[in-house]
Amino acid sequence: MSRIIKTFAAGLAALVLGVGLAVAEDRPDPMQALAGRPAGANPLDPMTAIRAKADAGEARAGNEEFGGLPDGAGAEETYYQCVACHSTEIIKQQRVTDHRWDELWAWMVEEQGMVEPDEETRALILTYLKTNFSSQR
Amino acid sequence: MTEQPGNPETPRAADATDPARRRFLGRTGLTALGTILGMAVPFERNLPAGFVPAALAQDTGLDLMAGKQGLVVLGDRPLNAETPAHLLDDDVTPYERLFIRMNGLVPQTALDQDAEGWTLTVDGEVETPLELTIDALKARFETVTRRLVIECGGNGRAFFQPGTSGNQWTVGAVGCPEWTGVRLADVLKAAGVKDSAVYTGHYGNDVHLSGDEEQEVISRGVPIEKALEEDAIIAWAMNGEPLPALHGFPLRLVVPGYPASVSQKYLNRIRVRDREHDGAKMTGDSYRIPAYPVAPGTEVPEEDMVVLTEMPVRSIVTFPETGTEVKAGETVEVRGHAWCGKGDVASVHVSLDFGQTWQEAALEPAPNRFAWQRWRAQLTLPQHGYYEVWARATDQNGIGQPPLSPAWNPRGYANNIQHRIALVAVA
Repeated sequence: MSRIIKTFAAGLAALVLGVGLAVAEDRPDPMQALAGRPAGANPLDPMTAIRAKADAGEARAGNEEFGGLPDGAGAEETYYQCVACHSTEIIKQQRVTDHRWDELWAWMVEEQGMVEPDEETRALILTYLKTNFSSQR
Repeated sequence: MTEQPGNPETPRAADATDPARRRFLGRTGLTALGTILGMAVPFERNLPAGFVPAALAQDTGLDLMAGKQGLVVLGDRPLNAETPAHLLDDDVTPYERLFIRMNGLVPQTALDQDAEGWTLTVDGEVETPLELTIDALKARFETVTRRLVIECGGNGRAFFQPGTSGNQWTVGAVGCPEWTGVRLADVLKAAGVKDSAVYTGHYGNDVHLSGDEEQEVISRGVPIEKALEEDAIIAWAMNGEPLPALHGFPLRLVVPGYPASVSQKYLNRIRVRDREHDGAKMTGDSYRIPAYPVAPGTEVPEEDMVVLTEMPVRSIVTFPETGTEVKAGETVEVRGHAWCGKGDVASVHVSLDFGQTWQEAALEPAPNRFAWQRWRAQLTLPQHGYYEVWARATDQNGIGQPPLSPAWNPRGYANNIQHRIALVAVA
């Protein structure tokens, strides 16, 4: 019962705050071990999935001021650039290649009407995204 | 304004004067406003109590989450939330447990449950373009009620290695409500599909995340042959109630078997095309997979990406919940659902020993094509310890679910990896 109340409270907090959305779960879940990207994994190695850590729920807490994005050079610029359209939740879920971040950027500018910042800010934000939300590092 | 089905106390928020919205803001406090809006609100503390900024008038739908039970929110703008497998045990998925996939913001008409003057236009490669009111749809065509699976093309994305971009759905971006409407094929035939017809293009009135009303949120379609099959419907009701705001009020398509993104919500136009539709999220690599198998992590040229059509065969274990304790030596029922983008599933097997041996589950027939099928297996865990139940559905062509993620693709679609749950046997 206390677990139910705890889960409910956490869910309510997540709903109200819009942050920390994944509810911690202490029951074993074999699917969790299959999700999430292990650091330094070779993407061409089919065994990568088996060695993956269940790290989806333990992402760095991040800076609340910037929608939970982890601190670092470019965090503030990334926050203000991105939340003009979408929340930081979709950013924090990503573990993709550098190439994919470049493609996503182009798609947002060309297809989704994103206003492109100056070249320096663009480089800063993309470096921040590739550093923190990567499948390569 | 009507209440959400199944939850008469759901606070809903239609406009700035709605008492439910004031209560919601009162509860959360204005300091949370910036988070709800997804952006900083300078001088927020100077706002008078009860004041609602204009930006909130175009809603992400986040406050409607109060009417959902136990869903895991993946993102709040746009709102996306999936259902844990053990909450999908119902044969007919209730509103409270149906996943949410928004590409944009919930239109005001849906929030207000206001269908006044709503019309559906059918044009393009047809002999007689139609403009139908909802009453005309109901009067002119046969009403059908069907249980149809609706599944996000990205369901299972979280299991791809390396990661692929988009919401990291696990197994719960799926549901099987009961939909009521008219056959898409009947409406297309009434308009008279020309020989030049190749594809459909679907349009709705949802609002782009940028708030730009000119910007298309999502406009996908299906090959005309698929649209003319008898399964797809233009629905106005879900589980006997008007479509909820989050699920497409007042009209939506339900085109089973294909990624749910073709099942346009807030539907107001179907344009029959003389080529593959090129609306928002039809092109580039949205809802596309490589035309040939690629190694994980491969960059695929855009011209080699083809539209994802039929979803692969899949099953989930909905009972018991993963991690449940059971008695060693006693029989326990394990059950779930199975479905397939081609129609009916042929069989479901379960394994208790990490895939070394399999036993066939009892599989019920579908109440109608493209409904999910209930399967049940009676299992006995021989001694105390940790067990996993793996479930594997097989389609009519003998194609089953893989124990590992299937063919990697750059956007992470159609991952029908076997679902596994843990069971802990106690002496």
